[in-house]
Amino acid sequence: MSRKQTKATPPAAARSRSAQAALPGSTLLRCMLLTQLTEERLVRLYHQGRISGGVYISRGQEAIGAATAAAGGPDDLYAPLIRDMSVHIGRGEPVLDIFRHCLGRVTGPMKGRDGNVHYGCLARGVYPMISHLGAMLPVVTGAVMARRRQGRPAVGFAYLGDGATSTGDFHEAVNFAAVFDVPVIFVIENNQFAYSTPITRQFRCRNLADRAVGYGIEGLAADGNEAVDLYRLVRGLVDQLRARPRPVLLVCDTMRMRGHGAHDDFSYVPRDLLERFTARDPLDLARARVIADGALTAAEVARLEQVCQAEVDAACQQALAEPPPDPATLTEGVYAAG
Amino acid sequence: MPLAETTLVEAINQGLRRLLRERPEVVLFGEDIGAFGGAFKATLGLQQEFGEARVFDTPICESAIFGAAIGMATQGLRPIVELQFVDFGMTAVHQLLNNAGTMHYRTGVAVPMTVRAPCGGGICGGPFHSEELEAFFCHMPGVKVVYPAFPADARALLVSAALDPNPVIFLENKYLYRHVKEWLPADWEPIPLGVAQVCRPGSDAVVLTYGAMVHEALRAAEQVEQEGAGTVMVLDLRTLKPLDADAVLAAVAATNRVLIVHEGWRTGGFGAELAALVAERAFHLLDAPVVRLTAPDVPVPFAPELERAYRPGADTIHAALLELLDY
Repeated sequence: MSRKQTKATPPAAARSRSAQAALPGSTLLRCMLLTQLTEERLVRLYHQGRISGGVYISRGQEAIGAATAAAGGPDDLYAPLIRDMSVHIGRGEPVLDIFRHCLGRVTGPMKGRDGNVHYGCLARGVYPMISHLGAMLPVVTGAVMARRRQGRPAVGFAYLGDGATSTGDFHEAVNFAAVFDVPVIFVIENNQFAYSTPITRQFRCRNLADRAVGYGIEGLAADGNEAVDLYRLVRGLVDQLRARPRPVLLVCDTMRMRGHGAHDDFSYVPRDLLERFTARDPLDLARARVIADGALTAAEVARLEQVCQAEVDAACQQALAEPPPDPATLTEGVYAAG
Repeated sequence: MPLAETTLVEAINQGLRRLLRERPEVVLFGEDIGAFGGAFKATLGLQQEFGEARVFDTPICESAIFGAAIGMATQGLRPIVELQFVDFGMTAVHQLLNNAGTMHYRTGVAVPMTVRAPCGGGICGGPFHSEELEAFFCHMPGVKVVYPAFPADARALLVSAALDPNPVIFLENKYLYRHVKEWLPADWEPIPLGVAQVCRPGSDAVVLTYGAMVHEALRAAEQVEQEGAGTVMVLDLRTLKPLDADAVLAAVAATNRVLIVHEGWRTGGFGAELAALVAERAFHLLDAPVVRLTAPDVPVPFAPELERAYRPGADTIHAALLELLDY
């Protein structure tokens, strides 16, 4: 359907409803906007000294999480990594809970017991990451094995960066999943840098997808900045894996367009590389795409941004007003009661 | 009830069989544990009886084994994984320390998994097949550590370990696998974790110990008593974490002299924790300084002559007891 034809279709509300079913663009854009706006606010809170520890944002990588989160079904399991706030939001994490978490509030999903990028909700099938890169990959693999034994057609989404592909856990988990035909999509976000280390110091292969051959599995290379195209690719992939369970390496080319954390000026990043990816900013691409596809008008996009900003503002204000954990609870809950 | 002579490794096998039979959510996996029955035959016949879906071999990948078990345990299964040797677990200990041990504290979600780990020396296994690493595991928050010394305890504690909602490291002394036998009934009840056992009464000194050293201590205590030097209590801790501190303190109160014995390394060893407990809470009861008898801070040597010098035994425990009783 051409852009012109789409625009010609009658009433806006009816068009939005039917377009919504066919086109994920507005869902993806909303997820990406919430991610970007939430992260911007978190950086500000950090520089204001209101967030302890650190803030690690995903600027430039929002499309990957948004697309892959939307492509999964209710039984699917996710293990997002550092730059995957859009996975959390896409799988239903309220922005309010993200602010609570990053502020270390007792009301947050980890009750102040972990901070920054370490959160999740097992009830929604989203595992909270630990800092050890690669460590979550076998966990998701085992979790998917368990769900499938229980008759649930689960597919796993295990996220990592180019840096984590150098770890032993990556090798162990991919090989384990391959041997047991576990349907896990290992989403490798090749964002060009692991902290300050460029990919030339991380691997020698032409594309990380080539590694799949060594595991006897399929490896796909995708543009990580085009949310709608990536969603379509992954949606089809999920259907294939449900029909014939097996792991896949999905390498998404993207760029971390900010420092490793809010403390990092990323002066080590070549400006021409940054400019190249800035020209393909996933938010800009998503905005243009939803308008081009006729999912939203430019005015509706602007309205969506306002709504997202209002949600972020309200969530931030509410979380700031909520209490920290009580030090008296320090030793509670180390063990499950049984 | 008829009794059957049962080795420790056979008792482990019985515990696993009972868990597989009674608990459909139990799965066993590890290296060579399927049709082969495991390096020490602890899982012998289990794949044949319960099928490959519940008892299966994996690649050689300790971290993926632990990680997969964590994933399964958080999704309703109750995995029991076997390390071929505890030594190999150290390639993957971050999964236990950082993932399994912190999960409930961070998320409120339980991780009911058990790691069975053959450990200890006495079989000329050399530096990488003889390690005694309970102190590492006990140092981790959120993890429990069980270490039986007798077949009856092994099978009964294994059931409790597997049914516990937390990650449990279940240490199996491989020297004891076939060197200790008991006549056991076919019917038995689980033993709760965290309960020590007095396996020899005595009033002049107590040996606080666990694993293979329980048997060495029993021999030494017998000899001391035959020599008329005194009566020596032997307290088998059975669970190291949570530690049965009440039983330790009661034993100190009853004897006033304490010898701590383990075959793990001395510095930062579990004996240091026991000595600290006694010093903090029972100092006023002591008639002599607490004595530790441990392996030296040396890699586990291979040659039998060296390993005998390395590992505490009934002879060195006997000598330490005589010195303690003479203080």
